[in-house]
Amino acid sequence: MTTQQIHSGYGELNLADEKIKLEVNDLRLYYGESQALKTINMQIPEKRVTAFIGPSGCGKSTLLRCFNRMNDLVDICRIEGQILLDGQNIYDKAVDVAELRRQVGMVFQKPNPFPKTIYENVAYGLRLQGVNDRRVLDEVVETSLKGAALWNEVKDRLHDNAFGLSGGQQQRLVIARAIAIEPEVLLLDEPASALDPISTLKIEELINELKERFTIVIVTHNMQQAARVSDYTAFMYMGNLVEYDATNKMFTNPSQQQTEDYITGRFG
Amino acid sequence: MQQTSTSAPVTARQSLLPSGEKRARLRRWRSFKDKMSKYGIAFAGISVVAAFATIFIYLFSEVGPIFSSASIEPEQSYQINSDKPLYTNLERYSEVGLNVSASGELQFFDAMTGAAGEKVQLALPADTTISAFARGEPRSGLLALGLSNGQALVIKHEYNLSYPNDKRKVVPVVTYPLGESPLDLNPGQALQSLAVQEGSAGTALVAFSADGKLSYHVFEAQTEFMTGETTLVRTDYPLPDAPKNVSRILLDTTLHNLFIAEGNEKIHYYDVTDPAQARYVEAVNAVAAGQQVTAVEFLVGAVSLIVGGSDGSLSQWFLVRDEHNNFHLKHIRDFEKHPAAIRQIEPEYSRKGFLALDTSGHLGIHYGTSARTLSLEPLAEGMNFERIAISPINTALLAFAADGKVQRFALENAHPDVSWKAMWNEVWYEGRGEKDYIWQASSGSDEFEAKMSLVPLALGTLKAAVFAMLFATPLAIMSALYTAYFMTPKLRGKVKPTIEIMAALPTVILGFLAGLWLAPFVEKYLSAVFAILLLLPLMMLLTAYLWRFFPRSWRERFGLGWEVVILIPMIIGFIWLCVSLSPAVDQLFFNGSLRQWFTDNGITYDQRNALVVGIAMGFAVIPNIFSIAEDAVFNVPRHLTQGSLALGATPWQTMIGVVLPTASPGIFAAVMVGFGRAVGETMIVLMATGNSPVVNFNLFEGMRTLSANIAVELPETAVGSTHFRVLFLAALVLFVFTFIFNTLAEVIRQRLRQRFSNL
Repeated sequence: MTTQQIHSGYGELNLADEKIKLEVNDLRLYYGESQALKTINMQIPEKRVTAFIGPSGCGKSTLLRCFNRMNDLVDICRIEGQILLDGQNIYDKAVDVAELRRQVGMVFQKPNPFPKTIYENVAYGLRLQGVNDRRVLDEVVETSLKGAALWNEVKDRLHDNAFGLSGGQQQRLVIARAIAIEPEVLLLDEPASALDPISTLKIEELINELKERFTIVIVTHNMQQAARVSDYTAFMYMGNLVEYDATNKMFTNPSQQQTEDYITGRFG
Repeated sequence: MQQTSTSAPVTARQSLLPSGEKRARLRRWRSFKDKMSKYGIAFAGISVVAAFATIFIYLFSEVGPIFSSASIEPEQSYQINSDKPLYTNLERYSEVGLNVSASGELQFFDAMTGAAGEKVQLALPADTTISAFARGEPRSGLLALGLSNGQALVIKHEYNLSYPNDKRKVVPVVTYPLGESPLDLNPGQALQSLAVQEGSAGTALVAFSADGKLSYHVFEAQTEFMTGETTLVRTDYPLPDAPKNVSRILLDTTLHNLFIAEGNEKIHYYDVTDPAQARYVEAVNAVAAGQQVTAVEFLVGAVSLIVGGSDGSLSQWFLVRDEHNNFHLKHIRDFEKHPAAIRQIEPEYSRKGFLALDTSGHLGIHYGTSARTLSLEPLAEGMNFERIAISPINTALLAFAADGKVQRFALENAHPDVSWKAMWNEVWYEGRGEKDYIWQASSGSDEFEAKMSLVPLALGTLKAAVFAMLFATPLAIMSALYTAYFMTPKLRGKVKPTIEIMAALPTVILGFLAGLWLAPFVEKYLSAVFAILLLLPLMMLLTAYLWRFFPRSWRERFGLGWEVVILIPMIIGFIWLCVSLSPAVDQLFFNGSLRQWFTDNGITYDQRNALVVGIAMGFAVIPNIFSIAEDAVFNVPRHLTQGSLALGATPWQTMIGVVLPTASPGIFAAVMVGFGRAVGETMIVLMATGNSPVVNFNLFEGMRTLSANIAVELPETAVGSTHFRVLFLAALVLFVFTFIFNTLAEVIRQRLRQRFSNL
């Protein structure tokens, strides 16, 4: 495999009709001496669901974390290249990381509610933004929980500890928490991998609803999930972006042999 | 070939595991080892619990006797050949008893059998009877007999010990310290009441005669320098304002204070410091109106008066100095009331207790300081005793009936001198102006009133711990937060073990440094110490603020999480600046010395004080608090902090909003463990506090803690004494303190574990 092939695989995708939300230009990422991402170039369209698939350790989560600079927290991590959010380089020195993370929300693999009440979990992000008006908080908590399809299940116990919820409910709570601060992009890092099938289904339905309001980037191990929820799919392998295309095309007629091998389950 | 080909699949199928027999043996060996470890661990666990239980049982068994009451067991009963007793006595080994009869006969007898021993018939002038009797301080054996012709005879009885054939022999001796012939006090007038006492100024007698005169007589033995001849110099003083009637006269051993019971409810107090100018001070109503004072006696030391009334009441009185430096006889406390009039009060010889006998035959065992009544029961059914005598070591009791019948009792009353109430409440001690909490447990004298209030010690313990925590908690928690959350892992790997190893520093070294170096240093540079404590945090904030304006290249050379290194020279420089500016500041604002300035403004300053202890013990507990708090903060799951950061929180907001609440139970547990450590700490407080058991929270005065008190006093106390047992009680209280704090810490830690078990 050569670099030429990679670029040819990406080159077939036509995003002319889409408004581009995120643009990755020559992104290289190093953990100490080893290079985890090798010259990534891609564009992510607005209000669409873009899925990253690939075997473990291929760099898809690392790439996802570049979008809200979570990799900054890793001491030995070094980044070259650019990521543009609405045309602004998020790695610019003038960028306020906290504000960037408000714009680019993230949901992790494992549900991570804070040891607080359901209400306070959702209100947390708003309080960070200086909102303390009870009425505003009440309203945002309600709309966010409704937005995360959790309201009906928790409306009678908003002031109970969030740990009382099931795993699937916790994950939807975390999504509610993330959308409460009105982000533009929502990064989902294997959001359903720790959940049972019914909870997974609910999350997938939720993603379908959310894409009307947010640009969603999802990392998943589950090929069917990627096929079900995403509009575009990127296949990564060993730190390379092997193929990036419309989901339909990827799963029916991939242009790369490697992609086909992975999708059909020959490796990974 | 054929053979090998057939045998090959067999060997291939053959199991590589050991044979069945071998595996069975291994299984047996394994189950044996399992069982061994199971029982071994169970045994070890039970042993630990048992060891703890044993410690507790031992502590309780040492403390328990303090709270037990007294017991009186009847022993022999016998008849002695003597009249109605005027005075009775029992010697230290309870072998020899004495009965002084109204006819002037001193009959010694065997206290076991009643067999008559030595008998001394006093040579009374013809046609006289004994009309008054007085007893000096019980331990002196001094007695005085007032006669109907106005004369008085002073005698002294003692018991000489000898050991012929290695067997103890008690020989009673009667001497006449003021001569064998009676002294004329008020010739021709019968002495109705008499008091006698030995003091440094000589032997004094106070007499009230039939003609209503009250007189004071001092006999001083003067030894002629040249000849060695002893002559008795007598001085007589008439006393003013004699009451109409006198039932009892008491003179204390200083020969300064005279108390007279009038026979009604009154007791009169005379100041006879200078007998030539004796002064009537006041009268007090010592019993309820309409009742009479029927018995009054000094407790040992002749400071406290115990007054018994016709209604069976018993109360303690002593002289209290008022703000004009005048003494007044004050009611101190009451004791449990007897069912009938008090007949006799018999003080104990070596402590502030007494026995009271009433007319109904009830015997009460009471104690002054602790206000306890240890026993109040009829002595014997159907017997009415005239008098009692107690052995000087409180082990035996003789009760004398009017017909010469004597009943002997075994007495057990080891620890009447403390009570739970007296240990935790204010007590009015002899000679004090008011009730107070005092710890002053021992002295060289039998007359000493042991003051064993645990309040100063418990408060001292809390005071030391609180000041240590005030110093240590902010430092330890802040550094734990920084180390766990902000510091680069490389630096954290060095800082954490370094601080934790501080916990291994022997506290005796910290105490030594605190007492001998820090205390004088703090005293000398007091203003610098305050400046450092208050301004150093501000200086750090300022440094952090200015750090933002350093050139970026400079800052990046240090890297994120290394900023703390730049603080070190800043802190050292600031401390040096404060210390070197201190004399100038003192000169400018505090007349040259802040310490003197405090004293001038009425704030007591001791060199070894709570400030020094706070700093020194603070250093001792910082590693404990830091270590646990740092773990708590560090163990806040990464996905929580990342979740917070991903929501647009700054690291500081994440710290306040997520890390601190999540780690708070652990931090609280850390503080509790630190507090438990500070409460139990001994060497630092022992060496750096001055060990004065004061009751205050003044930063500039010392304290005495429970632990230091045990360390100081346990080696010097008599095994089995009340003091000894109270020290054990102090240990138990200390144990309860640390137990409470450690349990609280552990309960919270368990809750923490439960709370994060599903993370």
